[in-house]
Amino acid sequence: MRFGERLASAAGHLVAALIIAALVHLIVILVIPLVAPRDAYARLAALGPINATIVLERPGPGESRLPFGDPALASAFCRYDLSTGPIRVKAPTGRAAFASLSFHSRRGAVLYALTDRAATHGLMEAIVMTPAQLREFEAHDDEDNPSQDLRIVSTTNEGFVLMRAFSELPSLYEGAEDEVDGLACAPEPMPK
Amino acid sequence: MTSFIKVCLTCILGLALGIWSSRAILERGAPFGVVTIGAWRVAAKAGSSDADPYTRAELERSGEIPLALGEGLQLVARRDDEGRRLDARCVYRVGPHTPAARYWTLSLVDRKGFPVENAAGRYGFRSSEILREGDGAFSIYVSATAHSGNWLPIGAAAPFLLVLRLYDSPLSATAGGIERSAAPSIQRIGCA
Repeated sequence: MRFGERLASAAGHLVAALIIAALVHLIVILVIPLVAPRDAYARLAALGPINATIVLERPGPGESRLPFGDPALASAFCRYDLSTGPIRVKAPTGRAAFASLSFHSRRGAVLYALTDRAATHGLMEAIVMTPAQLREFEAHDDEDNPSQDLRIVSTTNEGFVLMRAFSELPSLYEGAEDEVDGLACAPEPMPK
Repeated sequence: MTSFIKVCLTCILGLALGIWSSRAILERGAPFGVVTIGAWRVAAKAGSSDADPYTRAELERSGEIPLALGEGLQLVARRDDEGRRLDARCVYRVGPHTPAARYWTLSLVDRKGFPVENAAGRYGFRSSEILREGDGAFSIYVSATAHSGNWLPIGAAAPFLLVLRLYDSPLSATAGGIERSAAPSIQRIGCA
């Protein structure tokens, strides 16, 4: 083989390697969310059953906890499973300087979030449901007396709700923990 | 036979490059949907349902529960104002103002997002507990050894990150709307 032919062959293989690299890169990035065994939902699932309110450990040094937690905020979560029906979420607020509620799908996407500014009578409240359950609710809605409920559609059957509460001073952290411990997730009957 | 070996080598090279590039990009932070404000980076879409695949993969891999857009904004700095990597041997001054928010916190974490053990037991400051000048301006000193005023200890972490969280900020939904002058500066004021 002459030098030029060798060079062309080597370049051909290099281009092939780069194409394979690009494909592998794309596959890895797209597949991670589907197979990651250590994602937030999987870590939370290890802590307790569906619908139970569980207060998260205060963020601190040590890798047993979730990363990028704020040491000034107390958080509690409950996992939901909509395959048996919608879930009503109630989160009383008022004592903490700032409180918020966020809804996350099984895949980790944020579905919705609200803060204590959106609370009515000191309560943040919502119903989480699947698109099919939403259609059924809407079919039963009374047009003259519309429902006041905040309805949040989850793109996955499973997911979790997280409540956060801010402590203005280190000494107020326990109060913030008590506030997030008030989060409650309970099955909601379908309309009849 | 030699061409078979060449094909094998090409495949192995492609696979290795693909995996390496995926890892490298996830370690350094998602390249898309990131807004830079001075020394700070905001993964603007992390807290929304339309996060890009890189942001999603990064979140899934770390297990982080992102702050939702409606709750607040998380700004992360790996470098100082002049673009130098944050160094545990140096002293930094962070201040004097932050963008508008009901509350904010500044904390120090290692590369994986966990607070760093230190003798003072301080992992961050809240807007509600820092010492301020008469006009509301503040300085937080980030250093390994004790510093007067608001001292945020570096602890034993070699590479560290600073995390600024803005809770209930009117800017939450429009990360692009933060001016550089509104974000606190990270000034290196000396090195040991």
